[in-house]
Amino acid sequence: MSCPAGFKRAMIRFENVTKVYEQNARPALDSVSLEINRGEFTFLVGASGSGKSTFLRLILKEDKASSGSVYVAGQNVANISSWRVPKLRRGIGVVFQDFRLLPQKNVFANVAFAMQVIGKSRSIIRETVPEVLKTVGLEGKERRMPHELSGGEQQRVAIARAVVNRPGILLADEPTGNLDPITSMGIMGVLDKINQNGTTVVMATHDDDIVNEMRRRVVELKNGKVIRDEAKALYTSMIPVVGESRRLRDASGEELDRAQGAQL
Amino acid sequence: MRLLFILGEIGSGLRRNLSMVISVVLVTFVSLTFVGAAGMLQMQINQMKGYWYDKVQVAVFLCNDGSTAVGCASGPATQEQQDNLEAMLESPAVKQYINDFQFESQAEAYTHFKEQFSNSPIVDSVSEDQLPASFRINMKNPEKYQIISETFSSQPGVETVSDQRQVLERIFSWMNGASVAAMGVAAVMIFCAVLLITTTIRLSAFSRRRETGIMRLVGASKTVIQLPFILEGVIAAVVGALLASTTLWLMAHFWLNGDLSKQFLNTPFISSTQVLVIAPVLIALGAGLAGISSLLTLRRYLKV
Repeated sequence: MSCPAGFKRAMIRFENVTKVYEQNARPALDSVSLEINRGEFTFLVGASGSGKSTFLRLILKEDKASSGSVYVAGQNVANISSWRVPKLRRGIGVVFQDFRLLPQKNVFANVAFAMQVIGKSRSIIRETVPEVLKTVGLEGKERRMPHELSGGEQQRVAIARAVVNRPGILLADEPTGNLDPITSMGIMGVLDKINQNGTTVVMATHDDDIVNEMRRRVVELKNGKVIRDEAKALYTSMIPVVGESRRLRDASGEELDRAQGAQL
Repeated sequence: MRLLFILGEIGSGLRRNLSMVISVVLVTFVSLTFVGAAGMLQMQINQMKGYWYDKVQVAVFLCNDGSTAVGCASGPATQEQQDNLEAMLESPAVKQYINDFQFESQAEAYTHFKEQFSNSPIVDSVSEDQLPASFRINMKNPEKYQIISETFSSQPGVETVSDQRQVLERIFSWMNGASVAAMGVAAVMIFCAVLLITTTIRLSAFSRRRETGIMRLVGASKTVIQLPFILEGVIAAVVGALLASTTLWLMAHFWLNGDLSKQFLNTPFISSTQVLVIAPVLIALGAGLAGISSLLTLRRYLKV
């Protein structure tokens, strides 16, 4: 195989990816090259319209890159046929700002839904869902309806649903955007725990407090270009780094090798 | 598990859209009833053709007392003229076109007449000598009527040669017209049904877009996402088709084989069992139309 070095370690890899939604308009992503390793926790920051959501959509194959290649778990998503896209998405959990719970289903049913639709057996669902609810800190709330929960609890349900099928990647699009700072920190605790279990987490956010608190890798986008890529960074850099950066394989390399065995 | 899940989804979809589903059922019911009625008319035509074409084809009527035709100037047909005609029928020139023939005397004609019009007061006003004797000819190929007509109509003692098929053809063409009209109505109704199914599925997909969005994100397959919607339309259409089949069966059973067959004793009506042949066609048609229109709608309105 003619794979470049580090190919297998990269969970998500962008190679000169450009996405143009409308001809003549500024591209939403402008030749972005980036690697996110297995087990990494990455913040995607930048103003609205900087390309964060496009970045996440390309990973999910919700959109097609105009040029360049997107690799997820070593596979070029452009080569995934439409009937195999569901398989790609089973390996990726997604969390949104607006939770997107089913209002007429209770907490248990909302999480179980994600397993039912991919054909998991009833016994596995009964076993797995309470476990995952415990991970996100919702023990004993299985029978509650979404409207009976606080925003933070609803987001925990959404996270439980996103990770219940044990995806290798968790994408979070401003998951704390609707929550107060204290609740947000709680959600970050949950995401951190999931990351500790080996899941690669990519989180698009505007929340500077959270980024500064967590001290994880920060990728900053501006007008579709990566203008900063720093490990253990702050929301705003003291010394702005302009242009591409590939300082990806830092001290955390050991941990990445350990997580390599994890299946997508 | 997945099957149960899909069934559950179908159930909730049907409940949520109940009024629309009922309208789909009714429209498919009406449209397929018309399709089925057209089919029944065709079956009835075939039945009658099979029955009558074997029996009556060409009749060579002989002159009687009241005949006014040119060939009857010499009065009623004589035995000699009758023998002459019989000889012609036996001759190889004519024989090649016919299967067999029978002579129907005036007495026999009167008996048949009485049978046919047993319910009618006209029987009392007709006497034996008013009815013509005839040769009843069974053609090998009914289309060759013209040859027989040319050969016999100018013969002495022959009043007229009539192709009884022509009388039947008029009835059949009327029935054909009715079945074409039924098909026309059916076509319009089917068009309505397709539009209605399309709208229903679109609404259903819209009202469940949250669920389908989540299903997509967690990697549900295209089948699991789309099947409940398609089956929703198909089930409604099949219920409509079943209603249509039942209606047609009841029509055949109580109307054709009940009232009508008592009024028209020697008309062969299709049996209600024969109507059951139409039922699977209607069900397949309903299911197929609903399936295809749902699928096409989903391709436009449900992102997978």
